[in-house]
Amino acid sequence: MQANKMDPAEEPPSMLWGLDPIFSAFARLYVKDIVQMTESTQVPGIYFYNLHPIYKVDVLGTVVYKREREDFFCYGVDDGTGVINCLCWKTDLMKEECHPTTSGGKHSDGARGGFNPVAELEKLRRAQQSRCHLEIGELLRVRGPVKTSRQQREIMASTFYKVNDPVMAVQIAWMMEVPQLYRLCYDKPFQLQLNETGDAAISPLSKATNTLRDFLKQKSVTSFRPYDVQELLQPLISCQPQAASADQEPVAGPSACQQLRQLLKEALQILQDTGTVYRKVKSQDEVYHVTAHDKDLLIAVKDIIREDSKREKYAEKGCHIMHVLSAVRQRYSLNVSKAALELVLKSLECNSDIVSTSDNYYTVF
Amino acid sequence: MLPAAAVYRFPWEINSGAVQEGESVRTFGRLTCYQPEESRATFSAQHASKEHHVVVHTLFVEPFNPIIGAQYIVLGEIENADEVGVMIRARVLNCVDGVNIALLQKAINEQRSFFSEREHKQIDAAQPEHVT
Repeated sequence: MQANKMDPAEEPPSMLWGLDPIFSAFARLYVKDIVQMTESTQVPGIYFYNLHPIYKVDVLGTVVYKREREDFFCYGVDDGTGVINCLCWKTDLMKEECHPTTSGGKHSDGARGGFNPVAELEKLRRAQQSRCHLEIGELLRVRGPVKTSRQQREIMASTFYKVNDPVMAVQIAWMMEVPQLYRLCYDKPFQLQLNETGDAAISPLSKATNTLRDFLKQKSVTSFRPYDVQELLQPLISCQPQAASADQEPVAGPSACQQLRQLLKEALQILQDTGTVYRKVKSQDEVYHVTAHDKDLLIAVKDIIREDSKREKYAEKGCHIMHVLSAVRQRYSLNVSKAALELVLKSLECNSDIVSTSDNYYTVF
Repeated sequence: MLPAAAVYRFPWEINSGAVQEGESVRTFGRLTCYQPEESRATFSAQHASKEHHVVVHTLFVEPFNPIIGAQYIVLGEIENADEVGVMIRARVLNCVDGVNIALLQKAINEQRSFFSEREHKQIDAAQPEHVT
């Protein structure tokens, strides 16, 4: 039953485990995989599915075996692919048998105006007991860390409860969802996004965008035309054809100059989408304004909020972002995007020029 | 000791000879007949314009409330009985009347295709290693 231990050389280093999002999630693995996954040689209690470090799981299945002890239940859960023992500790609330004070609950009922904490607690205890006490054939949802005890895998339940599923809706939904989770997460190899060292992992486009963004920030550029920044991206293009021609015949593709222009166009589009830059006027002359350094825009937005906050309609809550956006478009420039406005509002708020009264509402004191 | 995992099988696969004796299965069907004196229930399901029957031995799950015409889920072991042929000795018998059978079939197929897909991938991944 126990899968053989992994070669320590194959295990990802434990320092990187926490970077895998699956590590801190309750993985919805099939019981078959939970039983077969290999245990770490570095840290017992950690398991590997497809090199993903896993220590806690989430399982839904039919109870096919049960054993009750004074302190815990042991349920055998069958999800159709495998069976696993789940150790479910009883809480103190569940262990208490019938409360002697329940008979005395009646007279205090009236005294406290209908709310009797003792009776309510008793109700809670009963509800919890009915949810935690399962019979063979009932459906159990259990999540918790995986343990290996006496050569057998088991789940130490941190949460467990009976699922009422009279028409199998929960089970069917689960059966449809789990394969998707496998395809999207568990079966995909974990790849680290190396920002500092692994340059190759970043696409030329995001590199180009970052280059432009850094340049605009460092030089405090207020506005520019595409050909002003074109040569900044030159180094990104020249190294590309080498990689492509290494393993294939040089084909008549776009020239380096065309590639450069295309890259610049896409990078500028991303900067526009994120609101970093905007075009005040859409004309033949492609001038881009840098949102953060555009004093006129900042003043225009501030004026709009100052003036409109005085109006009765906006006096109480302040101006909504969409109201500010339409005012900016009317009075300043038609092409200001919402993303750009959000950047402006953020920087005004950082300077305490404006104050947000609630989500998306701004005013001036 | 834990029992073996009960894998989903369609009712029309139970009698087709694809399932070995002693294998643990779970399947569904509409209760058509119950003979308490013999602890025997018959379930039926429609597939490809044919009616398929599954015989279930109910001794371990008695007493239960037999509702003729209702959908049930049964979980148990395959047995070959002399007089009835293939029979499931039920460990679990749940009434799930109102279940969307078409959706359940889709979910079972979804799970199966996932496993066969994964097996193929593993075979594909293992093969180049053998070659080199």
